[in-house]
Amino acid sequence: MTAPNQQQIEDDVWIPTSCGQCYCMCGIKAHRQNGVITEIKGNPDAPTGRGSICPKGLAAPHLLYDPYRVNYPLKRTNPEKGLNVDPKFVRISWEEALDTIDKKLRECQERDPRGLFFQATTTQASEIRFGVIAFMKAFGTPNYWVSGGGLHCGNGAHFMNGIMHVAWSIIPDFAHCNYALNFGCSKGHGAGHVAVQNATQVADARYRGFKNIVFDPFQSAQASKAHEWVPIRVGTDGAVALGIVNSLINEHGIYDAEYLMYKSNAPYLIRPDDGHYMRDAETDKPLVWDLVDQCPRVHNDPLVTRVEYEDTAHEVALTGTFTVNGMECRPSFELLKEHVKKYTPEYVEKISWVPAQSISRIAKEFGEAAEIGSTVTIETSKGPKKIPKRPAATHFFRGSQGHTNSGWTCLSIDMINHIVGSGDTWGGGMGLGAAVGQGYEPTGKPYQIPYPCPDGLLVAKTWVYDHKPYPLRDPKPPTRLDLHDMFPTSIYNAFTITDPRWFEMLDRFDIPYRPDVMVNFGSNSVMTMGNSETVTENFLKKFNFVFSFQLYITEFEEAVADIVLPDACFLERYTPAVSFPSTFSHPQGEDDWGWTIRQPVVEPMLERRDFNVVMLDIAERLGIPGRFYKALNDTIPIRYGGEMDPKYKLKEDGSERYSWEDVTDRLLKDRFGEEHGLEHVRKTGVFTWPKKKEDVYWKWFNPSRIPIYFEYFIDAGEKMTEMWDSYGGNDFFEFDWTRFKALADWYPCPTHTEEDPEYDMHTFYWRTVVHCNSMTQQNPYLDECAQEDPNIYGVQMHKRTAEEKGISDGDWVWMENPEGHRVKGWVSLSEGIEPHHLAISAINGHWGKYMPIAKGKGAFFNDLVEMDLDHTDPLTFNQDICCRVKVYKMDREEV
Amino acid sequence: MPRYGMVIDLKRCYGCYACVMACKVKNYSPPGVFWARILKGERGSFPNTVRQALPVLCMHCENPSCQEVCPTGATQTLDNGIVIVEKDKCMGCGACIMACPYGARYSVEEWESYFPEGLELSPYEEFAKKAWEEKRGIGVATKCDFCRDRLDTDSEPACVEACPANARTFGDMDDPESEVSILIRRHRGSVLNPELGNEPKVYYLEPR
Repeated sequence: MTAPNQQQIEDDVWIPTSCGQCYCMCGIKAHRQNGVITEIKGNPDAPTGRGSICPKGLAAPHLLYDPYRVNYPLKRTNPEKGLNVDPKFVRISWEEALDTIDKKLRECQERDPRGLFFQATTTQASEIRFGVIAFMKAFGTPNYWVSGGGLHCGNGAHFMNGIMHVAWSIIPDFAHCNYALNFGCSKGHGAGHVAVQNATQVADARYRGFKNIVFDPFQSAQASKAHEWVPIRVGTDGAVALGIVNSLINEHGIYDAEYLMYKSNAPYLIRPDDGHYMRDAETDKPLVWDLVDQCPRVHNDPLVTRVEYEDTAHEVALTGTFTVNGMECRPSFELLKEHVKKYTPEYVEKISWVPAQSISRIAKEFGEAAEIGSTVTIETSKGPKKIPKRPAATHFFRGSQGHTNSGWTCLSIDMINHIVGSGDTWGGGMGLGAAVGQGYEPTGKPYQIPYPCPDGLLVAKTWVYDHKPYPLRDPKPPTRLDLHDMFPTSIYNAFTITDPRWFEMLDRFDIPYRPDVMVNFGSNSVMTMGNSETVTENFLKKFNFVFSFQLYITEFEEAVADIVLPDACFLERYTPAVSFPSTFSHPQGEDDWGWTIRQPVVEPMLERRDFNVVMLDIAERLGIPGRFYKALNDTIPIRYGGEMDPKYKLKEDGSERYSWEDVTDRLLKDRFGEEHGLEHVRKTGVFTWPKKKEDVYWKWFNPSRIPIYFEYFIDAGEKMTEMWDSYGGNDFFEFDWTRFKALADWYPCPTHTEEDPEYDMHTFYWRTVVHCNSMTQQNPYLDECAQEDPNIYGVQMHKRTAEEKGISDGDWVWMENPEGHRVKGWVSLSEGIEPHHLAISAINGHWGKYMPIAKGKGAFFNDLVEMDLDHTDPLTFNQDICCRVKVYKMDREEV
Repeated sequence: MPRYGMVIDLKRCYGCYACVMACKVKNYSPPGVFWARILKGERGSFPNTVRQALPVLCMHCENPSCQEVCPTGATQTLDNGIVIVEKDKCMGCGACIMACPYGARYSVEEWESYFPEGLELSPYEEFAKKAWEEKRGIGVATKCDFCRDRLDTDSEPACVEACPANARTFGDMDDPESEVSILIRRHRGSVLNPELGNEPKVYYLEPR
């Protein structure tokens, strides 16, 4: 390590910036003494965290100064690639590295720019959504995937939450919620989104008598703190949710008719012949049945519309049969009511192992807690307004959504909120990330007010990706390497690109180019996407050239990187927008809006360079800086809500050059006025402004409705089937297109249908607060904490199960799935786990020699994750992350 | 003069280790030293199991066993109630470490890096080593001192400041209107192992 340089010495300052140890990106302050970062703490000025902080952020000095960081560009000298191959890296100069990259990218551009594939980690979420995507556009490739905590952490969840809440995630309004159902997520308990601030809110809520009912196969942090822990068979959350919906509607007769009539498509009349909306012949708008005038009306006829709660309107039918255009139509709510009848408590018990009585009781408790009919008056910018008070909410994330029924499970859990009318109102089930806002008053930006589509359904104003979750785009002949264009209900997928027949498939689908160059931003996809051999052999090795911006030499670089570039970490860089777009860096609730930035606390050490800066360099070398700036300009309105004032736009003709400092300054000035540029914001690391109450509880201030009946999936499925068949797609994969339908269902994972009694254990992975994704395991502070915990590195197994198998506490075992993939781990015995399950945490079990702290700690769950279509949700292409295994003790020599 | 104490609210705490980490980062403690620690335990049988996290630290006892056995007077109770070790008076006999019923004391025989041997120390670890050696010392007893160097500037101990659940409250036990006094009164705060008679000034509120 070098000594700090001259201008850095003799200082003693706290610099406000944003954490980068996980995707929550809380506001922090870093203490710099004589050029060395000596301490991190929370930034009280930032709504994300408000001065509190988790162990990962606190431990960051060891990330900055880890002697195992990559500090110089490296070149692979061993042409062989693969797992456990010594890459024989040698140090090279930046010039040589960039010359090589430039040459490879030019060759790629000549062959077909779409051969460039971007791979990034969710830990650098802010950069991915802005600079990385802009660079992709400038270069001219549509190909990318993002790795995180297990494959496709949110294909199902983010899609469904986007449709139902215009948000990345959902969460109870902890400040007022009295009763919550938590399906496999740690919100409010350490890990997950907006982790720190939610934890504060939940702790406060416990004192109000807030009850959290947690469905989880093991006694997770949230289950340990719960009012009631309900052990559940992994992957069956959707069945339980539908059981609760059935119990609410059909057993207890509890639902919020007002909400369903005016805030959902529950009253839309459905044709008996094809399940589509009955539409008005003149306007083509969906019809509802006016109960006062006994006639059909278009959904947004003022007579049957209530935007605000105190508006008046005619009641519309939720049940019954009505003749329209000569057809006997029924409101979609009645179809739902009929449809869920099969999810009786007894049927659901057989699937989920949750006692029938519990399902019925919990549904009743939840329904009563929602206090349907009650109201509260809030102080909005237009004076006091009465809105529904619904202090009951469901929420979920990774645990329940990571299955082959991902999309419908997410919807089913959230459906409970909408049945009792608690969606985005006081005390209810809210979109997380504070996704709705009128912006900072003087500029009206970032403007994030959703609006209705012609059919009346909710459309997001801003989104993380360029394409919004709704309306669905039409399937198109594929141009992407994962055939994504054909599949409008997914973000990306793995089963195509990791299939051994990938290139044959590309031929069949008329894709004229092949994977060529891969650029990686901090991802270790060998460990984070699924089985390491499948990913490496079938996918990563197909690229002609791989270069990687990285903090460490991970298993990915060892296996396939041709050049490794030493990246700067979050303490060494600028990031123009951290908390926006609103995803998982804004607290739910009434606290202020905060636009956080990142600014370097120290200059990048040694030869490290910030990948954002290097991208500008590469764009320059390739002669595309103007295109890069244009792509940044184009990205801003959808990401950050509101057009750029032309005077702050980056010049697109390439006549000027900008640093990230400049971009940050321009973006801030555009959003918050000339006087609130970087110089102003860098003092506190955040620009805050008050949140309006009508933006927090926006449901009864917005004219849009949410779907409980997914009419448009029917068409989407038909169009996709047609296109798939036209290419003879079934020669490769036989899709279950029946999943594309209007009403939610639960379908089993391979875990639930495995018939071989030898594979008797259900295995799954969970997120711990101490680690995020696969990088923090190398941090010795965090590793030490993880070792303090009895469950983080051990494989949790029930004591009785272990006894039956002759396994003792601490024994090393193999866990082998039916496909023959196996992982090892040591057993931690417990009573706090359902006896047929094994729980494994995080992305542990590193084997790479350049991350010695992480090496050999914990079990590598993802090696058990199969990447084929059988383990993929046909609706959203989310990966299944539960599996059956047989467990057996390792031989003494193997240990 | 205040008499400092702490309340740890087990109903709020969910065992995330932020306190442990904040303590390590603030005090630069080397591997194996946990002035703030979280003990995790489990009781009952499935499905009626209870998993509990218990954050522990020096209890800053009114009747500190450590002070009683200290032959040199290195362990002292300040007027503000904080039990400290004056490193220059400590001879490293270890009697206090044995005597402390709460296992809150640590002695470091040799400063150790968090990274494998043979590597040059990082600037952060160089700083940490120097800070530890100067302020805490090698071969002497060390322990939590409620971050007393920060209390003059109105700051709170690092563990209190970091806690995402606001589970820790620090303040004057003698002031009946202080937050700590109110919490203890209102929620019937209790101490660990009261039968020992040490009279800790760290109180716990029940988890349920």
